[in-house]
Amino acid sequence: MNDNMENTLRQKAKELLEKGDVKVVIGYGWNKKKSHTAPVFITKPEDVEKLVFNPLCVNNLSLYLTKKFPDIKALGKPAIVAKGCDIKTIAVLISESQIKREDIVIIGMTCNGVVYRQELWKGELKPEIMPTKCHNCDVRNPHIADIIVGEKVNFTPPAEPTGMVFDKIKELDKKSGAERWNFWLEHFSRCIKCYACRQICPLCYCERCIAEKNMPQWIETSSHPRGNLAWNLKRAMDLSGRCTFCGECERVCPVNIPLNLVNQKLALVVKDAFGHKAGYDEKVHPPMIVFNMEDTEDFIK
Amino acid sequence: MANKFLKKETIGKLIDALTSEGSIFVAPKMDARQVVYAPVSRMEEIVFDYIVPRNPFKEFLFPQTEPIAVFTIAKEAVDMKGVEVNAKETVIFGSRPCDAASVASLRSVFNWDLKDEFYNRREDKAVVMSVACTKADDACFCTTVNLAPDSPAGSDILLKETESGDYVVEVITDKGKKFAERFGNIFEDVSAKKAKPAADVKRIKGIDEKKIKEWLKDTKNYENPLWAELSRKCIGCGACTFACPTCHCFDIVDEGSAFEGERIKNWDACQFEFFTLHTSGHNPRDTQYKRWRNRFMCKFNFYPNKFKSYGCVGCGRCIRVCPVRLDITEVMATISVME
Repeated sequence: MNDNMENTLRQKAKELLEKGDVKVVIGYGWNKKKSHTAPVFITKPEDVEKLVFNPLCVNNLSLYLTKKFPDIKALGKPAIVAKGCDIKTIAVLISESQIKREDIVIIGMTCNGVVYRQELWKGELKPEIMPTKCHNCDVRNPHIADIIVGEKVNFTPPAEPTGMVFDKIKELDKKSGAERWNFWLEHFSRCIKCYACRQICPLCYCERCIAEKNMPQWIETSSHPRGNLAWNLKRAMDLSGRCTFCGECERVCPVNIPLNLVNQKLALVVKDAFGHKAGYDEKVHPPMIVFNMEDTEDFIK
Repeated sequence: MANKFLKKETIGKLIDALTSEGSIFVAPKMDARQVVYAPVSRMEEIVFDYIVPRNPFKEFLFPQTEPIAVFTIAKEAVDMKGVEVNAKETVIFGSRPCDAASVASLRSVFNWDLKDEFYNRREDKAVVMSVACTKADDACFCTTVNLAPDSPAGSDILLKETESGDYVVEVITDKGKKFAERFGNIFEDVSAKKAKPAADVKRIKGIDEKKIKEWLKDTKNYENPLWAELSRKCIGCGACTFACPTCHCFDIVDEGSAFEGERIKNWDACQFEFFTLHTSGHNPRDTQYKRWRNRFMCKFNFYPNKFKSYGCVGCGRCIRVCPVRLDITEVMATISVME
């Protein structure tokens, strides 16, 4: 499947660059040892051979569409190689006016799942090395795209979210408040404040993060229990109703903090309260950023 | 110095002896599905089968967060007192030779102009007991920076595993000698045992550190468009710097209330956007490639020009931990062939 998909992908990328429709194709390529894939930025038609697509393509490249990357923006109009899950983030970015739909070309890849971490790859995509998001995926056939590459995938996700992340959430829900508090304190105690979670997150696009505001210092920069808790809670709250469960923050966390648990718990809360699931429609705003005159609460009126 | 022998089963006794004196015994152990250097109190906690722990052990010499002063603010007076470092003896068992080599790197920078008492007092009390590597992974590149899986640099004692899981002990420094003598009942005088061969870490072809240094030194290459290209995918997190055994930058912050608080020294990373932001608003490293260039320059140009110790010890952590697999050895190879 991949040879065919890769050939089509390269062909489409070449056409886009040759016609001048786009100036850069943001995609995946091999590292030198061919052990890992990594983001590549193709600006010349002759370089499209570098593009690959396989279950190691874990990164959510929509990150590079944000204003965090002025150098990439300066290259000109981009095309982006995106899996359905990555397109969900693009949809949120559009709904939050971070990018305009017409300013990007989405090359949607049909997908049978990726690995949780690239180090787990032994040549075969087995369910046990796939992240929870893949087991529940309802966008294996890209839902918003200009070009679709790959054959249609037949996969029906389970009616109720299942898999390790949701099992753990259920387990945590059964615990007392004090137990949950201790669970999180223990995990956050490992935080080293490298901010890889923030930097990899396409939806963490603030020009100046509150963690860097020091007059006053809202979030203590020290990686002591207080500073770590403040940082991690703040980021979780900012993502509520927006997080699309790409899972990148947990994947990149150098100290294995189970960030998917907190972010998906909040996603479930928002779904229950507002019936909203992030990333399906670029015209729908996340509930936490809209104000309606019809809102039942009157504290803000 | 003559070799000695350490039976694996006696490590527990060594831990007991040290911890009962109030010393800290650091060793590789499991934490959240990763092998990390951490204090242990029992031999059963130690992991013996590992490549390189997730963290460098610099945090035991140079903690990530450390109060250096306390202050109170009254109506017309500020009272500030320094915090005295009461360093405890810290034995780092199972250090890898790459990490051991990084101690000299930290020492150079913390004694270059000012003598950093916080660092020095801890290092004085640290005993590095490395275990030579018999395994490596594809991110390891110690031999490429002229170290080796069994290099003695920076270790006070170098242990080499035998087939039985015990250790041939090479005493490297005076500190190591004193330590071995102090625990003479544990470090035996039998030396006829044979150690397993060290891991075979191949030098990466096409990397020439001298050429890299020359190219970096040439100021006309400073604005070469290559920098932006090579680091375009960099997301600007601090994972590589915090995972690096030789990275040593820190920031000073005050924390507390309006009336009292602490002055704290925290690890900082040159990869962060606000690392070089001036009060005026000017930022000399205003885009990510400039920050990434700085880190590379620091390791392979600034550092080797200023100090004799290693800027990079080839532990490979920055490669393993990078969210976008920005591989420093790929950049080294690219620059090695630049004209």
